[in-house]
Amino acid sequence: MEKIKVNFTVNKKPVTVEVNPNERLLDVLRDTLRLTGTKEGCAVGECGACTVILDGKAVTSCLVPIGAVEGREVVTIEGVGADGKLDPIQEAILENHALQCGFCTPGFVMSAKALLDENPDATKEEIRRAISGNLCRCTGYEQLTIAIYEAAQQLKEAQKAQI
Amino acid sequence: MFKYDYYRAGTLDEVSEILARHQGKARIVAGGTDIMVQIREKDKRWEDLECLLDLTFLESELRYIREEGNQIHIGALSTHTDLERSEIIKKWIPFLGKAASTVGSPQIRNRGTIGGSICNASPAADPLTPLIALEAKVVIHGKAGEREMGLKEFYLSQGKVDLNEDEFLKEFVVEKLPEGAVTEFVKLGRRKALAISRLNVSVVLMLDKEGSISYARIAPGCIFRTPDRVETAEELLIGKKPSEELWKEAGKEVSDEMIRRTGIRWSTEYKQPAVEAIVEDALAQAAEMIG
Amino acid sequence: MAQGKEENYNVIHKSKPRIDGVEKVTGRALYAADMYMEGMLYAGVLRSPYSSAKVTKINTDKAKAIEGVEAVVTYADLRKKKSWAGYMYLTDHIRYAGDCVAMVAAQSKSLVDDALAAIEVEYEELPGVYTIDDALSEGAPLVHEEYEKNIFTDSMFHIRKGDVEKGFEQADVILEREYRTQYIEHSYIEPEAVLAYMDPNSGLMTVQASAQNPFFTRRYVSDILGIPLNKVRMIQAILGGTFGGKEEGIGLVTARAAYLCYQTKKPVKFVFTREDSFLESAKRHPFRLRYKIGATKEGKIVAFEGEQVDNCGAYNNQTQFMNWRANVHSSGPYEIENVKTDTYGVFTNNIHSGAMRGYSSPSLIFGQEQLIEELAEELNMDEIELRKINCLKDGSITATGVPVEYVILQDVMEQTVEQTDYTRKHAEYKKQTDGRKRKGIGLAICYRGCGLGAESPDASGCMMIANEDGSVSIASGLAENGQGLKTAYAQIAAEALGVRYENIQFPQLDSFAIADSGMTVASRGTVMGAQSVRKAGEKLKKIMIKNALELRAFSLENTGLTYDDLTEEDVELKDAVFFLKKHPEVKVDFASVTNTCIWTGKQMAAYEWFMPEDLPQDHATGQGKAFPTFAYGCVVAEVEVDMRTGYVDLKKVTASHDVGRAINPALIKGQIYGGIVMGQGYGIMEDVAPKKGRVKNRNFDSYILPTSMDAPKMDINIFESGDPTGTYGAKSIGEPATEAVAAAIANAVYNATGRRVRENPCDLETVLLGKKLG
Repeated sequence: MEKIKVNFTVNKKPVTVEVNPNERLLDVLRDTLRLTGTKEGCAVGECGACTVILDGKAVTSCLVPIGAVEGREVVTIEGVGADGKLDPIQEAILENHALQCGFCTPGFVMSAKALLDENPDATKEEIRRAISGNLCRCTGYEQLTIAIYEAAQQLKEAQKAQI
Repeated sequence: MFKYDYYRAGTLDEVSEILARHQGKARIVAGGTDIMVQIREKDKRWEDLECLLDLTFLESELRYIREEGNQIHIGALSTHTDLERSEIIKKWIPFLGKAASTVGSPQIRNRGTIGGSICNASPAADPLTPLIALEAKVVIHGKAGEREMGLKEFYLSQGKVDLNEDEFLKEFVVEKLPEGAVTEFVKLGRRKALAISRLNVSVVLMLDKEGSISYARIAPGCIFRTPDRVETAEELLIGKKPSEELWKEAGKEVSDEMIRRTGIRWSTEYKQPAVEAIVEDALAQAAEMIG
Repeated sequence: MAQGKEENYNVIHKSKPRIDGVEKVTGRALYAADMYMEGMLYAGVLRSPYSSAKVTKINTDKAKAIEGVEAVVTYADLRKKKSWAGYMYLTDHIRYAGDCVAMVAAQSKSLVDDALAAIEVEYEELPGVYTIDDALSEGAPLVHEEYEKNIFTDSMFHIRKGDVEKGFEQADVILEREYRTQYIEHSYIEPEAVLAYMDPNSGLMTVQASAQNPFFTRRYVSDILGIPLNKVRMIQAILGGTFGGKEEGIGLVTARAAYLCYQTKKPVKFVFTREDSFLESAKRHPFRLRYKIGATKEGKIVAFEGEQVDNCGAYNNQTQFMNWRANVHSSGPYEIENVKTDTYGVFTNNIHSGAMRGYSSPSLIFGQEQLIEELAEELNMDEIELRKINCLKDGSITATGVPVEYVILQDVMEQTVEQTDYTRKHAEYKKQTDGRKRKGIGLAICYRGCGLGAESPDASGCMMIANEDGSVSIASGLAENGQGLKTAYAQIAAEALGVRYENIQFPQLDSFAIADSGMTVASRGTVMGAQSVRKAGEKLKKIMIKNALELRAFSLENTGLTYDDLTEEDVELKDAVFFLKKHPEVKVDFASVTNTCIWTGKQMAAYEWFMPEDLPQDHATGQGKAFPTFAYGCVVAEVEVDMRTGYVDLKKVTASHDVGRAINPALIKGQIYGGIVMGQGYGIMEDVAPKKGRVKNRNFDSYILPTSMDAPKMDINIFESGDPTGTYGAKSIGEPATEAVAAAIANAVYNATGRRVRENPCDLETVLLGKKLG
């Protein structure tokens, strides 16, 4: 097993890592880059705690071999929000008390962000579907769904204001 | 922990070359949604894995859904999300899009590919039954060029497909359904997302001018050792008018066929009535679309 | 719908934002697995695949020879194999498929894996017992030689109230039923994790662990190393969920990490895989409930007899507490004159059972609340009417023979019945005789003793420190599990002291900052544990008012007053401002007083200990006051059942709970939403289902939880009872939120199908076939 060099961008910054090929994107984010906001909950792609956005799509980073991100763009929870300000999704989660233990929260933020980036008109039904690959044992998903819906409305308002 | 090298191939021929060089000890990875789990679980099949060969950099060669005359070609790297959103699939073979939309979760559908799903050869793979109902062909790429075969023959047994050491799955080819045909996919899982099919079924129906069934396909999932249609159930429909009674007969024929092929097992007591129910559902829902 | 007297609170009774919200929503919160240290090693364990066996040979030579592997420890190397709580750190006597025979520390996760794979072990398989019935059968192999017939005698409790024989004589109808419940997994999303490191000079071992009960976990470290407790510094890492699960398993893993750290003199991080977590964290106890109930034809329940047996697995130190609570609640939220019940656990060669949200109640209620409906049917009586006749009311005598007060159970039930249109729907759905999909509505009521009660000491401590800048630090012996304890405590501290919520800081529990206050369990955090926070706040408030007066902090000009006229009674501290009660315009900031205090050496800290009233109980009869008070609830579930596949679609749940006083309504709602969905999993799809002791469902691909698409529509009603017992009148909510859900679902399924599911859960096969498959 020879180490491989992989170049990609994380949260808009280019990075190069030299790692074992059997590492996963999740391992590199956490152990090499110390971006520990991305969590490991099951390692089999079921819980969604390790969700990141890869080239615009939500993916579970536990199932992505590190070599597969060569040249690609990865956004993690650390890259959400700008200029030290929270993203509207994060604000809405706080506002709605849509978190408890918080371990799954970054994954939910990433799934919600991937959805709203693509479809700011998402209905509650579409939101429930978009977060159906993120397990939460604390909240029962209710406040999360409402929060993401509210964030969508805010984003739309902001877009309108810009136009 | 398994240790292996990682390669990317630049061309389709290079894929075959690398596969050949490793003599069965190279494994293709696309979305990774199955293989990465199996490697982590130290699946005995990959104990001597020498390398993972990543196809995801061959998107322009392998990720497409296109119409060619009377055929639809689906590149093996098409993700479940691609299938779910494809207008071509929606128009010609909508049940494949529906089946893809029920796979796992958004994250899995964004990474998982149709090629990977089929080559993983799980009898519960959701996109399997629509492809079987469509009598899909697979195009296989190897050192000696390409060969084509039926998907049904390609699927050898659970976890095993008919690929030589240098070969990989390149695309699926299906014939467009005749004008007026409707399709339906019904899945029974234990929950509404992240669900593995307990049972599923794909059906195609078409009526003639008199309102009698002129074309029928019934492909149930999770009940046979290898995926298949139930032709006896299909034949039973031909020439008859849609009715609840008829759907019942078809459902019964599917469950009878299940028992004929696999015998009575510990789960038959449940699967028998449940498969009848979902076959009836699928046929009834399809008939409803004809209106 | 918040009911009860409105009082003028400044900080509590409001949905304050979570104190730990921003760090969690940004991913900056550090959980134990997120911590790294220079030179840190990783750790892992080797588990037995057999459920009953002896290790005959173990060879670690190959593992030790791998470069980068720094420690390989087997059971033979340990001075102490058995933990203080009975669970094994490492063992050669395998009692369940999950017992550990060896552990390793190495420079990478991959090397840990290689080392474990290189250890050669030979086992001799032995016969085992797995079910309650097997364990109790004649001649069954013994899991522990000291427990005859596998009965865990320490967990045996009884209720002897009145005379059941006589009671049954008065009954017109007598019904006997058996119900069973299953193993389920807590399924917190964060697997257990710990980082252990040592100060080479002092020998102080620091552990930062995802421990629900940090002091409990500290005991494991001191135990395995044989060092005094003050040589162990336990800092609770932010906890990614627990629900009762991060107790034994995390204790064992923390001890092992500390041992490996001690051996190698290097920091050791040990993070469980999900499979490790399934194999070593306790499960909800499966129960076999046998009930006999008798009532007059008018619907008065006159006698109740029960045997409640739970499967406690291979090791246990929870079943006795579990069963004590089960014993107290054994006849449900009903006043019954004659009660005779026996509750006990049996050992088997399964994964150990332990605490899980609700403790024994979700299992019991699954049986009891179906039993009451079966009885109603037998009596040809409306099931709500039967509940009304018999449910606890003010002054009712409970099964433990004491009266209860502030009982709003009937109100809660009646309002929920009305709100959900239960009666009409129930009657209408009952008439369904055909149709592919049938609707059903089901109800369950519940009551729950708040806090630990007579189960164990419910005492706690709080240290509160005002800093020179007016900010306030608190340390509590109870811990944040994710439920929002820090937020509620900060609100209570701010309210009691008279400062702003934003003034309070509450870091993770540190065993060097506060005394052992027992475990953060039994939904005791707010109702009982926060009493010490309130007391500390009130005490510090007095101290600070005295300081303000002594420092002559007020400007008395234009008031005509002198300091000689003022006593502490004349001064109020609210919203971080001191003022004179009679001259509110005369005021001074909290921060300016604290700033002066620091330079004058005045006390600015208070430490308080809270100990509730003593609750003596008679062991032979279970009679005596069990809990300071109870919380009441009612849950209505509405389902649609596919009559041909057995699929139960949970459409809507209405949950009404008496929370006493809502300290933070938004947090309470979060608890209830989460409790409902956890109850949905328990009632419909979750089952660990060990086969001959082997857990096959050991990750989230095979063990399934409800997803966002499965969660029902939820309506929540919060009732405030005016009961002053708990902190500011608060009652438990974490566990009440989940305990009645599965019972309501089972009743709804019956309403839809006409078939009782007496063996939880209502999964596809059970609903369709009326029995478990396989």
